[in-house]
Parts: sequence; structure tokens; C-alpha cells
Amino acid sequence: MDREFFASRYETKTDNSFALDDNIMVRGGLTTAGSKMLQNFVSPLQATVVDRLLDAGMELAGKTKIDELAIPTVSEDIFATLSGAAGAVSEGLCRIALCNDVSGKNRRQAPAKGLYYIHPTYGTVSRFGLVPAVSSMDQLGVVCRDIDDGFNVLGIIAGHDEKDFTTFPEKSYSYAPKEGPFRIGIPVNVMEAADEESGNSVNEFAGRLGAEKFELKYFEVLPQVMYILSCAEIGNNTSRYDGIKFGYRTENYSGLNDLYTNTRTEGFRPDMKLATIIGAFVLSKKNYEAYYLKSMKIRRLLREHADELFSRFDAVVMPLRLKDPEPYRNMALYAFATLCGLPSVSIPFGSCGLQLIAQARNENILYGICKGAVKDGI
Amino acid sequence: MDLKTVMEYEAMVKFNLPGSEREWIAEKASMLEESFNELSKVDTDGVEPLVSVLNFNSALREDVSVRLVSRDEILANSPDQYDGYFQVPRTIE
Repeated sequence: MDREFFASRYETKTDNSFALDDNIMVRGGLTTAGSKMLQNFVSPLQATVVDRLLDAGMELAGKTKIDELAIPTVSEDIFATLSGAAGAVSEGLCRIALCNDVSGKNRRQAPAKGLYYIHPTYGTVSRFGLVPAVSSMDQLGVVCRDIDDGFNVLGIIAGHDEKDFTTFPEKSYSYAPKEGPFRIGIPVNVMEAADEESGNSVNEFAGRLGAEKFELKYFEVLPQVMYILSCAEIGNNTSRYDGIKFGYRTENYSGLNDLYTNTRTEGFRPDMKLATIIGAFVLSKKNYEAYYLKSMKIRRLLREHADELFSRFDAVVMPLRLKDPEPYRNMALYAFATLCGLPSVSIPFGSCGLQLIAQARNENILYGICKGAVKDGI
Repeated sequence: MDLKTVMEYEAMVKFNLPGSEREWIAEKASMLEESFNELSKVDTDGVEPLVSVLNFNSALREDVSVRLVSRDEILANSPDQYDGYFQVPRTIE
């Protein structure tokens, strides 16, 4: 079972342990990021979140398996395999796990295992020591069995880091559940596209909390915006993998260009190569305005729509699966929070679970809704 | 996206794909390109692009040189090194 979920395992003496997705660096240990390109990479650095958890007295259980660099993909099988983090926590192999959930895989899968996934506001948790995938969206979150535990751990890892200038200035955070009642919104157009089981979970939850209906704007183009912006940044972030400074190097080369080309061709999986090529495609002179610039403009419109929504609601509730099983289309469910840098919590409710999203820096509202739900036996 | 165009982008990003992978990528990219064209339905006239969701000025640190890792630590992961430098194949004939 360890081998199923862990890329590498450490001995722990207590059950006060944490796991890390294998794109979070531990000094002196392997960090493969699920890629052949980093199969032998021994990290000279340690992620700030690791230092903070160790200083708080927790022990490292191991590094959990991830899809290659945990990027959003269009491949058929991304949701068919259980995330290593969700597997490890659900099997009791560690107390909590940290993940970078740009793809939405942990948000989707945690509830099915009876777990919570807390995805904080972008800028809350340091990304120092995280192998970058989509820099404007990467944010470490917490997989946990107990919501109090999850927010307790978030309080440990959150806070300004001098080594990550994109963290908010606050040196530390202390999370406490906000008291209700709460104004909850339910997006009717998203619910029309939800699969039956997922929709039922949301509708039951929304019914008990008296949710009000609204239309989530730009929902139909969220996969495109998410994938275009992701690929552009992925292409940029993976240009460093050249077989020279670290990582995999091909044995098949006669000159420098061969070395680069064959290393990168052999070192990456097809989905990564597709994302890199699409990144170059959307950033090319011919396509930049129609795709990349357009997506950045829609991202602003989405952010303005979020501000308007959260003036009416404390949180919105969303399903975790669409009727259309295609991973590309399902990106839309996670893109709203990810593109806008908003906090969200996936909770185990009903047969499928659901996600709650709040305005930036309002994690305490999500905490309060979750606590109320647990207390009321929802 | 046809195979010739895929090969052009391959060269840009330093790939040399096997035939079957190139065909897969061409097929996926064509589907994606068709999907991307739906963006034109959204009116973005007069809208500024959003580069970052952060709405604060990033904190600056003191302009002091800080060494996080040593040269040896950086070189330790390199497949080929010589006398404290990364070693690469000959670039000049």
C-alpha cells in the first residue's frame, strides 16, 4: 500500500506525520515531481512549508505520487488514478498531506475518500521549494480527515516568506470558524452540467442551507482560459529542463542541440509535451492576441464577476463532476477558484462531496460553514 | 493543427517526437484550437488583461546578497561537470 501512494517513504515514530506531494522539496531527498526528467534529482533546498511543519513537531512520512508536475491535462486517465495524497491520508499512512492542486484532482477526489481538501487563497502559503508548474496559479493546500486539523495545519504553514515575494505581508495566520448564518449561492448553469450524483450532493447541501440561485458567468469558456494560461506558463517553467544543470540527460546525442532535444523528448510524457507545444502555440505572434491576451482579459472579467458575487454571497457551492467525463471540460469546475486565486474547501457530503468557494482571504467563512455542517450532522 | 505545424512548434520547444506521438498531439491540438476559437464570443473590448490575482505590491527585501546553496550543492545534480562548471558538448567546430 505504501508503494501505491508513496514515491518515497520515511520512517516515522508517531502518528503526528505529514506527507508531501513529490513536487515539494526536502533537502537531501529525491524530488521527482512525477517526471522522468527529475527521476534522480536530489534537492539542495527545503521548502518553507516543510521547515514550518518540522518546527511545529510534525514528522515527515514520505513523498506522495503525483501526475507529471501535477499539471492540468486533457488526458483521459487523470481522474482514473487516485491522488497519492488522498490515498495516503485515507489509509491512515499519515495525518495530513500537502499538495499543489492546480489540476483540481485533489479537490475532486478527497471527498470520495471521506476527506477534506483545503485550497487557500493564492499568496497565503509560500511556494518556495515547490517545483513550479503554473506560477500564477500554484498554491499548496491541505488534505485532511478532520476540518479542525486541516485549518490548524494551514495556520502552521501559512504566512509571509522572505523567500517568496508573492506571499501576503502577514507573518502568520490563526484560523477560527466564522459564525453563521451564511449567504450561499448555487450556480444554476453549472448545476445543469453536473452529473447526477454530484448534483444531488450539492442540491441537498444547498437546500439545507437555503442557497440562492445565480449564473456563473464565463463558465462555458473556463476550460479554454484555464488551459491556455496554464500551457503558456508550463512551457516557460519547463524550459529549464535541458539535461545540463540537473535531471535526466539522454545518452543519445552528438551535439548540444541533440542533447537538448532528445533529453526533453525522452524525459517528458505526452501530456507534458502537448502542454508545452500548446504553450508555444498560444504565445506565438500569430495567436497571442486571440488566445493568450484574450484569456488574460477574460480572467479579469471573471475576477470582477467574483467580486460582485461575493458582495451578495459569503460562499458559493459547486459540484465536483460534470456529466461530460472529459478532463478538459471538467477543468471548468476548478478553474473559477484557481484563476481568481480564491480559497475553496472540498467536503465529504452525500455520496459525492462538493466544493465551497469564498472571496479571497475569507478562509474563516469556509471553516465556519464546514463546522456548522459537521455540527448539524449535514 | 497539421503535422507540419506540430513539427515547427517541436523545433521551437526542442522536441523531436516519434510519429505516433506527433499524430496524437496534432489530433489533440486541432480539437483544442477549435475549442479556443469559442473565446471570440466573449466581449473583452476595453478590458485590461489580468496578469496576477495579487492586488498588493510585492514585499521587497534588503538589497543584500544571500547565498541559499553552495556551488558544490548546485553542481551535485549535474550529469556532467568539470572544474566547478557545468560541462556541455562542444559548441564550436
